[in-house]
Amino acid sequence: MKEPHILSAFDRDLEAVQAHVLRMGGLVEQALLDAAEALETRDEALAVRVQQGDRAIDALEETINAECARLLALRAPTAGDLRVVLSVMRIAAALERSGDYAKNLAKRSLVLAEMRPLGGTSSSIQRMARTVVLRLKEALDAYIGHEVAVAEDIRARDREVDQMYNSLFRELLTHMMEDPRNIGAAMHLHFIAKNIERVGDHATSIAEQVIYLATGALPGEERPKAEMLPGADGAGADLAGGR
Amino acid sequence: MNDMRLVERDVEQVTGKIEARGVQVHYGEKHALKDVDVTILDRTVTAFIGPSGCGKSTFLRCLNRMNDTVASARVEGRITLDGQDIHDPRIDPVQLRAKVGMVFQKPNPFPKSIHDNVAYGPRIHGLARGKAELDAIVETSLRKAALWDEVKDRLDAPGTGLSGGQQQRLCIARAIATSPEVLLMDEPCSALDPIATAQVEELIDELRAQFSVVIVTHSMQQAARVSQKTAFFHLGSLVEYGETGQIFTNPRDPRTEAYITGRIG
Repeated sequence: MKEPHILSAFDRDLEAVQAHVLRMGGLVEQALLDAAEALETRDEALAVRVQQGDRAIDALEETINAECARLLALRAPTAGDLRVVLSVMRIAAALERSGDYAKNLAKRSLVLAEMRPLGGTSSSIQRMARTVVLRLKEALDAYIGHEVAVAEDIRARDREVDQMYNSLFRELLTHMMEDPRNIGAAMHLHFIAKNIERVGDHATSIAEQVIYLATGALPGEERPKAEMLPGADGAGADLAGGR
Repeated sequence: MNDMRLVERDVEQVTGKIEARGVQVHYGEKHALKDVDVTILDRTVTAFIGPSGCGKSTFLRCLNRMNDTVASARVEGRITLDGQDIHDPRIDPVQLRAKVGMVFQKPNPFPKSIHDNVAYGPRIHGLARGKAELDAIVETSLRKAALWDEVKDRLDAPGTGLSGGQQQRLCIARAIATSPEVLLMDEPCSALDPIATAQVEELIDELRAQFSVVIVTHSMQQAARVSQKTAFFHLGSLVEYGETGQIFTNPRDPRTEAYITGRIG
């Protein structure tokens, strides 16, 4: 780590805001795992808890933004310090979105609990959620340690999640073709899968902030993309997110 | 990395004004400046930053041969203004200083009237024919220094009777009255309040249209606000010289980063 500032209160401010980001990360990881668990086990109480827990995540983001505004106004950070503040704000925004996706997953799991289960789809989703949460955790750990190599690796592995999403997409298509009565549940599960895939993108963007923090530049070249299925990643109405 | 320069800070098309190559300064035994190579651009504000004793003021004083007046100082290396060696024996240091003006840390008006403070330089350099022309130079210089409206009714009052901020702007008016090509400023705002500082900074930004301005400052924020290029000096060496936005967001040298972020360096 860097040597301390002459003015030690500056270090305390920077550490405090970074600690809030880590706490936010922990809450988001848990919310995603709980939401996926609620989907798999049809645990409605857990799903409701996840929905309610999103408020704490949103409040932390507001705290972080207020602290960053104070840091910018009062400490006039430059160079690496400035990049800490900017990256913290972007990571908090990525985590807030991820928290919204967890909340949306919990909401849909309540609807799905009333429907006929679709084979092993929800356990595939749980697997995907665990992979994405691991990716988030690695990205935040890389942030703390300023580990550029780890961050590059996370970026490179984004396609794993994309592939899981693509295979889930195929699975859901099959269910819908087999029996049109599956369409309602399959649509919900598809949005859930898409949202988890987006959390993966946010983990990648956090990894990119690690690179920005350490080097002052965002990685240039396009990261590898998994094969694109016709219609699998097309534009369309976005039911995901929303507070 | 992406170019982060704002349009108004674009300095790419500007040519070099002062070239310094291998400049060394000794004060007696003390090696105050070590092998400085730098190109100061025309119509650009260049900030020199660094801790006390780093050599930034010493280097500034080399640019108009002010170190000639210090008995123990020995200057080596080559400094050119528009390609001409300023140490050439045919160069008159007084003429050089008319071209390369200077403003000091503390406002130091002559114990004369406001008018005569500004008229002094043009008069001794014979830049004006007759009183009307001289008065015109005084007015233009005071206007450029954003002081005219405040003093136009009392040009015969002593310059020393003005407020600190006004005195500093008077010294700037005096420095620009001889139509210099380069203006050197050694911490011009350190004795000024924030409003006078803002006025001087606005003035510096306007002067950039005509002059090359070099400013030594201990205020990082001032360097960031007014300059397009920043040079960081440390222990007598020029550590890093680059576009100001780059220096303040992504300095290349860890010593620059330690200094501008307020760490022990």
